[in-house]
Amino acid sequence: MTDAPVVSIQDLSIDYVVGAGRFSAVSNVSLDVFRGHVVGVVGETGCGKSTLGQAIPRLLPEPPAYIRGGRILFQGQDLVKVPLWKMPAIRGTGINMIFQEPLNSLNPAYRIYDQVAEAISIRHLREKGKTVISHRETPPFDYSRRPTSDAAEALSRPVIPGGAVARVARNAAERHPELREEVLDYLRLVRINDPETILSLYPHELSGGMRQRVMIAMVLSEKPSLLIADEPTSALDVTIQAQVLTLMKELIEEVNTSILFISHDLGVIAETADELGVMYAGKMVEFGPVADLFENPRHPYTKALLRASPTRYKTDGPLSSIPGNVPNLSRPPPGCRFHPRCPIAKPKCRREPGPDHVAPAGVAERHTSACHYAQEVPGIP
Amino acid sequence: MAGSPSTGEPPSSPPRRRFTDRARGAGRAAARGLTSFGRSVVILWRVLRANPLTLVGFVLVVLIAATAAIMVTVPSLLTSFGVDQLTLDYNQAPSLHHLFGTDGNGIDIFAMVLYGLPVDLAIAFAITGVALIGGGGLGLFAGFWDRPGSVGGAVSVFIMRVTDIFLSFPSLILALAIAVSLGRGVWQLIVAVLLTWWPYYVRLVRGETLAVKHLPYIMAARAAGVNERRIVLRHVLRNVLEPVIVYFTLDIGTVLVTLSTIGYVGLGVNYPTTPEWGSMISYYQNAGLIGTYPWTVLGPGAAIFITVLAFSLLGDGLRDVLDPRSRRVLAGTPSRPSTSPAEREEEAEEVAGEVLEIPGPLPSAQEVNAPA
Repeated sequence: MTDAPVVSIQDLSIDYVVGAGRFSAVSNVSLDVFRGHVVGVVGETGCGKSTLGQAIPRLLPEPPAYIRGGRILFQGQDLVKVPLWKMPAIRGTGINMIFQEPLNSLNPAYRIYDQVAEAISIRHLREKGKTVISHRETPPFDYSRRPTSDAAEALSRPVIPGGAVARVARNAAERHPELREEVLDYLRLVRINDPETILSLYPHELSGGMRQRVMIAMVLSEKPSLLIADEPTSALDVTIQAQVLTLMKELIEEVNTSILFISHDLGVIAETADELGVMYAGKMVEFGPVADLFENPRHPYTKALLRASPTRYKTDGPLSSIPGNVPNLSRPPPGCRFHPRCPIAKPKCRREPGPDHVAPAGVAERHTSACHYAQEVPGIP
Repeated sequence: MAGSPSTGEPPSSPPRRRFTDRARGAGRAAARGLTSFGRSVVILWRVLRANPLTLVGFVLVVLIAATAAIMVTVPSLLTSFGVDQLTLDYNQAPSLHHLFGTDGNGIDIFAMVLYGLPVDLAIAFAITGVALIGGGGLGLFAGFWDRPGSVGGAVSVFIMRVTDIFLSFPSLILALAIAVSLGRGVWQLIVAVLLTWWPYYVRLVRGETLAVKHLPYIMAARAAGVNERRIVLRHVLRNVLEPVIVYFTLDIGTVLVTLSTIGYVGLGVNYPTTPEWGSMISYYQNAGLIGTYPWTVLGPGAAIFITVLAFSLLGDGLRDVLDPRSRRVLAGTPSRPSTSPAEREEEAEEVAGEVLEIPGPLPSAQEVNAPA
């Protein structure tokens, strides 16, 4: 895992311009995601973690969002400079995304077969050299079975919606055994019982957990190098959440995808991530291997977050909360953005923003903190 | 949480099963072994059966369409008279020979109403069809590519402002004005009404597109690498289509009434050389026949009424046919294969076992926390 990162975000800043106001949602964030790694990003609501996630595949609506500066290096190009019309060729097989709302992430008008088949055929088209995206050397499954003819594949992609042509095309696709088999393979991969039945169902006929599994199947069927999971389990209840997380962990190993896992749930992150970035008010305040960061937090915000989490420290007594509120990002506080809420804030914190990527003494490799007084953090009661 | 297997997802017991069991059983028997087309017919029948008024509308529309098709191909099946054929029976009251009677020239009213049917339908469909495709296409574009500052954004603003200009005139008055300047005739009538008709479709489709394009599944499709053209044509258009088709069907009735209105004020087509219902009523009224020979206008009037009613009734129920969500509920078609109770139990146990094996996030967090 010492090769070049799959995606390298350098000094990325994103603003939202709403009316006369300008909100810096993400400020000078740098982050590397290595091959096969799961990198978690946690933070309170409004800290910019979803904005960061959507900015990587350039899915942010621009305007109102503007990428003010920085670079997103992916497969040798800077995605910030790639024109938007070229992005569809990079998305999907290159960078794919699972969203927060599994209940609405499937098109209600199409059967499950059509939706999974669409995802698979996007990859097939790319693999045929229409757009070279994938750099993966070893496919995890046997894809020697290919659609036999271009005509059949063209038919499997109905363009005229809902009408007779689409119906004819769909029947053609259903008669298309290779594509159908591949769709079934992926549905089995995400542990859907009886995938043959699911094929002809509409999304509203599936439960939330099933829908999210179909989403995961679709996303994985494109074999992305980077998968951005934006709170993929937040809308699911806890048992289903556990199932989906276990599934994702297994699939990460099988498909060898790197994942940027965005969540506000430390338990979920602890379960899945290898490394963790903690965001506060648009800044990445601490980054490090999950175990080390949980064991040895070096930013007062991380420490406060951990103390507010029911999974750690507190086995009895009330949970602590962080005093104060997230600052208004149109006028962020000067200096370190956390200083108004920080228990160890000093005059320097009010003047100077925290240092970027400084590794404090006594922590693991690649563990960095943006606190002036990182050494004092362990002493916070 | 890991200790409560009963909350695990039971994929084999959808709650719908309970109250639609009978319908599903019947449906399964009927739908088994059918082609995809056959299954669609079965579903259509169930939806229609659930909404009797829609069924009436559907049957009427089918009858109207069949009549129109016959009148275009072999009119002699339904009437022995030709278009504008003069007979020696002047001003006859309705009888078996002349179902709707005749006028002062001996023209058979029933025959003329029948000949008018394909003409009226063709004009109505030409107007609504072009408005749907043209106006709808513009609305789709204006709704989807409305990013300010881009070329698409500028084009959409232009489209919407032109639409606003057309909408700022009362449409019937504008249509009449255009009809006056173009003169009488089928093409002139189509153009006059069409020019006032398309802006509504732009508005409707743009509104629906704006609503649909921000839904998560559009974002998900984009993330999956689907290009913008395909997102518009496949993902947005299909979801915009339902309300638009419903509006379109209801609109056929509206446009028929508008045609009749224009025909009635004497700006329609040349009756009796071209049979058209609105012009027909206007012609006989101007000839002063309403009082003495009311059947001359009752025939075409009834034809307009029934046709408008048919499309309105059909349009009301069409949403249920088009929307997959209400379609399945109404049709009660089997969405899962039947499994025996024993199989279901087995499956549930399997699922429960799976859940039990999964370590919850809690213990793992503590594992991470534990000193190495």
